[in-house]
Amino acid sequence: MATQTQERRLAFLAIAVPPIAWVIVFFLAPLAIVWAYSFGQNQGLTEVDISGTFANYVRALQPLYLGIFAKSIFVAGITTLLCLIIGFPVALSIVFASERWRAWILLLIMLPFWTNLLIRTYALIAVLRTQGYVNFTLEWLWNQGSWLMTLVGLQPLGDFTPLQMLYNNFAVVFGLVYVHLPFMVLPLYAALDRLDKSLIEASLDLGAGHIRTLFLIVVPLALPGIISGIIITFVPALGAYLTPDLLGGPDSQMIANVIERQFKKANDWPFGASLSFLLMYATFAAIALRVYLTRGKPSDDGHGI
Amino acid sequence: MATRRAPLEYNRAWQMKLWLFVVFFFLYAPLVALVIFSFNDSKRNIVWRGFTLKYYEKLFNNEDLLIAFANSLTIALFATLISLVIGALAGILLWRYRFFGKTAVEGAFTLPIVVPEICMGVSMLLFFTRVLPWPNDLIWPFSLGSIIIAHVSFCFPFVALVVRARLASFNQEQEEAARDLGANDWQAFRDVLLPHLKPALIAGALLSFTLSLDDFVITFFTSGPDTVTFPVKVYSMLRFSVTPEVNAASTMLILVTIVLMALMMLMQGRGKK
Amino acid sequence: MSDARKKSIFGSHSRRSILKGLGAAAVGITLTSKKFSALAAEEEKKLNFYNWDTYIGETTLEDFADASGIDVNMSLFATNDELFAKLRAGNPGYDVIVPGSEFVERMIKADLLEPLDHANIPNIKNIAPEFMDDAPFDPGRKYSLPYTWLVIGIGYRKSKVKEVPDSWKYLFNSDEYKGRIAVMSDASELFRNCFKYLGKSINDDSPELIKEAEAMLIKQKPNIKAFHEDNGQDLLLSGEVDLVMEYNGDIAQIMTEDDDINFVVPKEGAMKQQDTLAIPKGAPHPENALKFLNFIFEPEVGAEITKTILYPSPNAAAVALMPDSYKDNKVIFPPADLMAKCEYPRYLGADFTRLLDEAMTRLRAA
Repeated sequence: MATQTQERRLAFLAIAVPPIAWVIVFFLAPLAIVWAYSFGQNQGLTEVDISGTFANYVRALQPLYLGIFAKSIFVAGITTLLCLIIGFPVALSIVFASERWRAWILLLIMLPFWTNLLIRTYALIAVLRTQGYVNFTLEWLWNQGSWLMTLVGLQPLGDFTPLQMLYNNFAVVFGLVYVHLPFMVLPLYAALDRLDKSLIEASLDLGAGHIRTLFLIVVPLALPGIISGIIITFVPALGAYLTPDLLGGPDSQMIANVIERQFKKANDWPFGASLSFLLMYATFAAIALRVYLTRGKPSDDGHGI
Repeated sequence: MATRRAPLEYNRAWQMKLWLFVVFFFLYAPLVALVIFSFNDSKRNIVWRGFTLKYYEKLFNNEDLLIAFANSLTIALFATLISLVIGALAGILLWRYRFFGKTAVEGAFTLPIVVPEICMGVSMLLFFTRVLPWPNDLIWPFSLGSIIIAHVSFCFPFVALVVRARLASFNQEQEEAARDLGANDWQAFRDVLLPHLKPALIAGALLSFTLSLDDFVITFFTSGPDTVTFPVKVYSMLRFSVTPEVNAASTMLILVTIVLMALMMLMQGRGKK
Repeated sequence: MSDARKKSIFGSHSRRSILKGLGAAAVGITLTSKKFSALAAEEEKKLNFYNWDTYIGETTLEDFADASGIDVNMSLFATNDELFAKLRAGNPGYDVIVPGSEFVERMIKADLLEPLDHANIPNIKNIAPEFMDDAPFDPGRKYSLPYTWLVIGIGYRKSKVKEVPDSWKYLFNSDEYKGRIAVMSDASELFRNCFKYLGKSINDDSPELIKEAEAMLIKQKPNIKAFHEDNGQDLLLSGEVDLVMEYNGDIAQIMTEDDDINFVVPKEGAMKQQDTLAIPKGAPHPENALKFLNFIFEPEVGAEITKTILYPSPNAAAVALMPDSYKDNKVIFPPADLMAKCEYPRYLGADFTRLLDEAMTRLRAA
């Protein structure tokens, strides 16, 4: 009996120590330095004097920055929603595919994301810009239509005005969805995979249509996976700066762009630190809220996140 | 009854096929453009000027790009391996045990997902210069150590998340049954739990590999003179237009990945039962 | 901020380290890097050069290795801010860096640069005197030497403009080219050129001036298609916009690919810049660095570099070796009367930087 408890103990330590130690040394410690910076102010050009001041936070809570926060949350939210809507059927398809196809579909979904983000974004630009492929195709169709109309004797259509699909918020959302789709598909797949298929069959046998089955059976059971997917899509989307930077228009400024500017051009690391931490506090609060709300639910399997 | 498909054969439905087709079209159209433009005879690579293979030639002669490539792949490999271990342990820890401070630990494991990349990049920079100076002249691949460590820090929470989601469906009685039958902890873990985790581990590995390979911000801040990675190199080329050489490199990367994956599939198919 | 050039190049670099590592891994033995040699008496034959991508001649680094036996390892950064951010926490091992003139001033103030011993760089005599004398950001060129110089202006598509857009008003205060304009996204570059348009100096740091520029730009924002992050020339080339605020060197580059493009320095004057060479404090190979600097200013080497990157060069001896098509190019060397109205940006303090950044945030959020 004693050795079994000892064995249990040993097992616990073996499992607990590596991740906890890692997170403390290689994550929390570095972060603590930056956290300390958020209470400091610039001294000269390179040093930061940690004076315990709240000035940075006060500045970060001004309406100017709060407005940008709100906008970023909105954009990230739309992105996540779109990813969910687009990704759910894809995940379903992977789960119900035969063994052979499953691996291929999974691979095909992941493959674009092993391409460098920058290159993919440039490729997107080539597709979406004024003389890009979409406009090229549309123009060709327009011209064909115009020609057809003259054949029939009608007035030809006017000049083709290309769609402005780049350097605006549409492009930013498009680009963000493009980048974050697999982060939604993978957890959805992992969660749907463990679904008891007989439940679905039973529901269908009992007469419920596919859509009803989907919403009443599949979604609730896959909820933990959906939540995971939402979180690991929403949060990085909120912190994205490369995509809005390259694809966005004059008013597509997200909070991560502002933060990036503080650490680089403005050389104001304390302020950048305070903005980052505000962002983190807010997200963390949202996650904690979610945990709190679902804690009591019977369907909660102790998943937590 | 006419040919009614079986209830779960969603993939036979035309709506599903159409959806998949559209999704894949949007995912791949820009990439196809990417590949096509790797043959473009124009330094700026904005307008198509003609077909050429010279950028592939340049690629294979461009040592720096190749080295950057190799660095990125190496980092991704090591980071994924380590993240799998740490992430799986973290996931199991949170699922199986209750202990003092569990909520805090849970929070700590989630934090890397929440932190803005640039914040983490700066914190890593400060850490590796002020707190734990990483020697500059270590032999490769140890010179990549600081980057690998930083990558593990932001990759393993994703693995933990996926593992945990998967564990939610694990019937603990299976493990207890194994133990009743005489297996010790380690055997129970290896032969019962681990196989159940396989899909999650694969998904986690794919996620980690992707995140690491593509990372720019954090890698930039933790890399030194000898450790240029592919995204950093590409980003610095942003200034002067991404030449078709980079397209060529990406095309090669995609090809290599496909080949590797195909190999993996084959091996898995053969090794199974 | 500065730019550089086409043509991927590069000589041999840290291939040695990787091959060694690969070989070692394959055989399973660990070799000790040759750097672990305890004799620090003579510097080992290596140089860490931190530069913009392709901002060097095609064979320059190889030529240097041949001439001196020193192996150059060139790493890359993409903006001056990154360079500064990397260095401010401590030099991670770079010997020679390429900061822009404004950043040289910042770095000098932050005590990040080694003073240069001109006696050890005899080829300084090849540099045109005005670049040695007129450098308010580094008086006497104690810490930096000019590598290239540039000026900001307006690149435009000839067929799409009614007349040569020789004034900032077309970018900042007019809806004539609505939706066909791109301006820089860097607060310092954008706002300070606005100051010029408003008739003031680039280095005027009064908050009212910033407010005035901000108000003007907010009013102009609906006409602006994009705030570009130093790739304005691509936007112009691809027909996305017809007028772009860019550096003359960048526009000169794309002019080789498209005849319909030209460049002009606005009549109110503009911001000019230099990209400089400097040695950061804590450089592991300062002797090699000095040798490298001296090598760069050789006439033939300078000409080789300039042929590749096509930027205006301060190396008079090198310029003399260039073909007339370069020397007479009005884009690369704008007329002297316009250049007289251009100024170098000075570092105006942390408060000014902060005000500028907030103005930029407000502008983008408007």
